[in-house]
Amino acid sequence: MNVSILSARNLSKVVPSAEGELRILDSIELDVMAGDSLAIIGSSGSGKSTLLGLLAGLDLPSEGSVELAGQILERLDEDQRARVRAEQVGFVFQSFQLLDSLNALENVMLPLELEGHANARERATELLGRVGLGERLSHSPRQLSGGEQQRVAIARAFAADPKIMFADEPTGNLDSHTGEHICDLLFELNRERGTTLILVTHDPRLAARCQRQIRLDAGRIVGAAEPA
Amino acid sequence: MTNLPFTRLLRLAARQLMRESHAGELRVLFFALLVAVTASSAIGYFSARLNGAMLLRATEFLGADLQLSGSLSPAPQQIDSGLKLGLTHARVVEFSSVIATDQDIQLAAVKAADSRYPLRGNLRSASAPYLADEVSQGPQPGEAWAEARLFAALSLAPGDEIEVGDKRLRLTRVLTHEPDRAGDFYSFNPRVLMHLDDLAETGVIQPGSRVRYRDLWSGSTDALARYRQEVEAGLKPQQKLEDARGGNRQIGGALGRAERYLNLASLAAILLCGVAVALSATRFAVRRYDASALLRCLGLSRRQALGFYCLQLALLGLLASSLGALLGWFGQHVLFILLGDLLPADVPGAGALPALAGIATGQVALAGFALPPLAALGRVPPLRVLRSDALPVPPSSWLIYGTALLALGLIMWRLSLDLGLTLSLLGGGLVATLLLGGLMLLLLRGARRLLENVSLSWRLGVGQLLRHPLAAAGQALAFGLILMSMALVALLRGELLDNWQAQLPENSPNHFALNVLPAEKDAFAARVAALSSETPTLYPVIPGRLMEINAVPVRRAVTKEEGGDNALRRDLSLTWSAELPEGNRLTAGQWWQPLQPGELPGVSVEAELAARLDLKLGDRLTFNVGGLERDVQIRSLRSVEWDSFKPNFFMIFEPGTLEDLPATYLTSFYLPPDSERELVALSRSFPSATLLQVEAILAQLRAILAQVTLAVEYVLLFVLAAGLCVLFAGLQATLDERLRQGALLRALGARRSLLLNARRAEFAVLGAASGLLAALGCELVSYLLYRQVFDLVWAPHPWLLLLPVFGAALIVFAGTLGTRKALSASPLSLLRSA
Repeated sequence: MNVSILSARNLSKVVPSAEGELRILDSIELDVMAGDSLAIIGSSGSGKSTLLGLLAGLDLPSEGSVELAGQILERLDEDQRARVRAEQVGFVFQSFQLLDSLNALENVMLPLELEGHANARERATELLGRVGLGERLSHSPRQLSGGEQQRVAIARAFAADPKIMFADEPTGNLDSHTGEHICDLLFELNRERGTTLILVTHDPRLAARCQRQIRLDAGRIVGAAEPA
Repeated sequence: MTNLPFTRLLRLAARQLMRESHAGELRVLFFALLVAVTASSAIGYFSARLNGAMLLRATEFLGADLQLSGSLSPAPQQIDSGLKLGLTHARVVEFSSVIATDQDIQLAAVKAADSRYPLRGNLRSASAPYLADEVSQGPQPGEAWAEARLFAALSLAPGDEIEVGDKRLRLTRVLTHEPDRAGDFYSFNPRVLMHLDDLAETGVIQPGSRVRYRDLWSGSTDALARYRQEVEAGLKPQQKLEDARGGNRQIGGALGRAERYLNLASLAAILLCGVAVALSATRFAVRRYDASALLRCLGLSRRQALGFYCLQLALLGLLASSLGALLGWFGQHVLFILLGDLLPADVPGAGALPALAGIATGQVALAGFALPPLAALGRVPPLRVLRSDALPVPPSSWLIYGTALLALGLIMWRLSLDLGLTLSLLGGGLVATLLLGGLMLLLLRGARRLLENVSLSWRLGVGQLLRHPLAAAGQALAFGLILMSMALVALLRGELLDNWQAQLPENSPNHFALNVLPAEKDAFAARVAALSSETPTLYPVIPGRLMEINAVPVRRAVTKEEGGDNALRRDLSLTWSAELPEGNRLTAGQWWQPLQPGELPGVSVEAELAARLDLKLGDRLTFNVGGLERDVQIRSLRSVEWDSFKPNFFMIFEPGTLEDLPATYLTSFYLPPDSERELVALSRSFPSATLLQVEAILAQLRAILAQVTLAVEYVLLFVLAAGLCVLFAGLQATLDERLRQGALLRALGARRSLLLNARRAEFAVLGAASGLLAALGCELVSYLLYRQVFDLVWAPHPWLLLLPVFGAALIVFAGTLGTRKALSASPLSLLRSA
C-alpha cells in the first residue's frame, strides 16, 4: 500500500504568550502511507501532542495544511472535521478518557450507539473479549486497573473500524510491564485490521516497534528513522 | 454519525441519563428541581384554592358572585343570557320610601328581594329588637323586616303593620344582618326588607323614581366569565357589572395584598429553584467537559454534543417537575386537611393549572439557569482530550444571561400577572446582584492582606476562597440569593400581619352614628365617651354635588367612562376639618396655610378620586351645596385608609368654607359586645341620630384576615423549608474542589481537626458574606416592593444585620455535614477519583 492517507505540509502552530509569540510547531512536512505505523518521539514540550492534535483535526494550524483521508482539514468547519473523525479516526489517550458513569461495555458501545449500529452490544462484547476483558463487562472504570482501563479504551477506539488510529502516550500512565502488554495489543489489533497507526511517545522501545519514527525538538523534525 | 437523527439522540440521552442516575450532581439537580417545583406548585395550589375560598367569603359582601346593577331595570336579554348559561339569579330592588304607621312616618331605605336572595352569605334576624339573632330566610310576601332603629323611631313592635306606598305589610322580624350591607355604610336611613312580589302593589316605583336594580348571579367561574363577556358590551351607561373583588374596598384590599404576598412567595420559590439549578448545572457541566471533548473526538458535532446534554437535562427536569407537581398537590391537600377547622368546608379545587404552571416553572427555570453553564459544554474544544487545560471559550455571557433573565421574567409575570412586582424583583435583583457581586469581590481581595497573621486553619480555609475569588463571589451570591429570598418572604409576612392588625385592632369602631344634630353634638360625644372610653371625633357632614371642574361642567370635563363614577352621580358627603384626620396621609400639596388675599378657600381631595377625575393641585372645583354654589381650590391630595372603619371623606374643606350651612355630624365608635341596652338608651336620648352596627361586617372581615394570615404563615414555612433544602443541595454542588484539597492535605499529613477547622473557617466567611449580601439585597428589594407593590411605608430593618451570623451558622452547619464523610474517607480514594 503506497497511498498517502495522511500528509502535512509546512505545518506550524504559533500561540501568543507573555513573552510574545511562541512557535510550538515549525514547518512540519510529513507523509504517512495507509497501513503504516509512525512514532512521533521527543522530549516533553517538544510539540508531540500538538502535532497529534493538528493531524487528527482536533485543532487548527497557524500555517500549513493537513490532508487526512483525502480531506483538507483546514478547509472544513469544526462539524465537518467531526464527521471526518467519526468516519476515519480512532483515539487512544494517555489518560484513557473513559466515562466514569458508564461501565466497560457501555464505554465501548458509545461510538457504536452514536453511529446507530444495530448490533452495538454484541460487537462491543466481542471487542472486549478480544482485549481480554470478556469477564469484566459490567465493571465501572473505577473498578478497573490502569491497564484494564486502557484496554477498554483500545476496544472503544477500534469499535467503529477507523482507518487511522491516533495514540497519545498510550503507556504513559502505566508501569512498564503493563505498558508492554498494552502495546502488544495495540499493534496486534493494528495489524489485524490494517489500521494506520500514529503513535506519540517518549519511550524509545515503544517507538522502535513502529515502521517509521520522527523525532521532534522545539517544534521541528530533527530526525527520521526507518528501522530495517 | 454523519447524520444523527433526533430520535436516536433522544434515545441515547435517555439511556445515558439512566446510566448516570447515580451521579451526585444529577441527584442534586433532580432534588433541587423537585423541591422547588414542589414548593412552587404547592404554593400555587394553596393560594389558588385559598383565593377561591376567600373570594367565596368575599362574595358574601355582594350577596352574589357577580352583580348587574343600575338605575334601569335590566333588559330581558341581559337576564335571559344568564339563565341560559345555567347561572342562579336573584333580584333586589332598592329605593327610598317613607314608611308610615298610623301615628308617624320615617324615611327608610327599602329593599325588595325575591326568595332566592341572598345567593351568597346569609340574612340574620331576631324576633325582637336587640335580642339574639339567627340565620333566617327573608320575609314572605305580605311581610316585612326592619332594622331595630326603625322599630325605635316609629315605636313599633313585631306584629305591627306598616305602609310602604299603597301596600300594608306586617312587620314580622327585626333585621340584624344583610351580607351585602358592607358597601353601603352611608345609607343614612333604616332598612326595611320586603318581598319582591309585593313591590308592584306599593306603587312606589314610578318613571323617574330613584331606584337601584340589582340582579345577582352565582354559578361556575366559567359560566360567570361567559356571562360577563356576553353582557359587558351591551351595558348601558347607567348599568355596571361588579364582582366581589371590585365591589368592596375592605375585602379587595386584603385579598389583593394577600394574593401579592402569595405570588411573591412563589416567585421566591422560583428564584430558589433557579439558584439551585444554576449551582448544580455548573457542576454538571464542569464534570462533563472531558466527556464532551471525547464525544467530539468520536465525531459528534458541536450542536449534537450540546443537544445530547440538553436533552438529558430536559428529561431530568421533566421527571423532577412532574414528580414535584404531584408532591405539591399532595402537600397542599395535607395542609388543607390540617387546616380543616379554620377553612370553609367548600374550598373549591384548583384544577390542573397550578400543577402545569409548576412544571412549566421547573422547565423554564432549568432552561434559564442551566443553559449558560451548559452552553459551555458545546464549546469544549475537542483538543481537551490531549490537554486537560483546554477550557471552553468563555460564553458570550450577556446574551445568554439576558435570555435567561427574560425567560424568567416572563414566567414570573405570567404567574403573578403583575408587571410591577416582576420588574421590581428582576430589576432590583439584577442591580443587587451586580453591586453586591462587585462588593464581594472587593472584600475578598481586601481580605488577602489580613490573612498573613492568622492561624493555619484560617489561612487554609479562607485561602481556598481567595484562590478563586470569582468563584467564591459567585457562591456567596448564590447563597446570598437563597438567604435573601427567605428573609424577604419572612420580612413581608411580619409587615403584612402588623399592617392588617393595625388596620383592624381589637377595638376598631363597630358603630357609626349619623345625623347627630349640631346642638346635640357635645352631649352625644360625652355620652359615647362615657360608654366607650374614647372620645369620638365628630365630623360635620353636608351633602353637596360637584358641578364644575375649572369652570367646565363636570359632565363635559370628564370623559364618558369616568362619568360613571359614583362620586359624580350622587351627593358627596362634604366635611371640613382643621386637622388632617387620623388614617389620612397627604400625597401632594400642603395642609391648610393662612389664606392670601384674593385666594379661593381650599379643599383636600382623596387621591384615587383625583386620579380618576384627573384633578390636580390648584384646580378649581365648584360645588352645589344646599342650592348654593361654592368655589374652592385644590390644596392637597390625600390617601385614605378605606378599610379603617372610620369616617372617611372624598372632600375635606378648609374650615370656615361651609360653616354657614346646616350640617349634621358623623362619627364612629367602639362599644363592647352586649351593649344593646346602652345602645337603645343612646338612640332614645338622641332620637334624630341614626346608629348603625357594623360588628357583623367586622367579624366577617376578621375571619377573612385570619385565613389570609394563616395562609401567609404556612407559605412562609414552605419557602423557608424549600430554601434550606436548596441551600444544602447547592452547597453539595460546590464541594468537589474542597474535597480534593482536603484529600491532598490529609495525604500530606494534616490532622483531621485542622481540616475541619479550615473548612469551618471557610464556610463561616462564605456564610457571613452571603448573609451580608442577603441583608443588603433584602433591604433594596423590600424598598422597591414596599413602595411599588404593597403600598407600605418602608423603614430600615436592623434585625437583618443578624443575617450574616445566621448565614455563617447555617452554612458552617450544612457544609460540615456535607463534608463529614469525605473527611473520614481514605485520602487515596478521593485523590484517585478526583
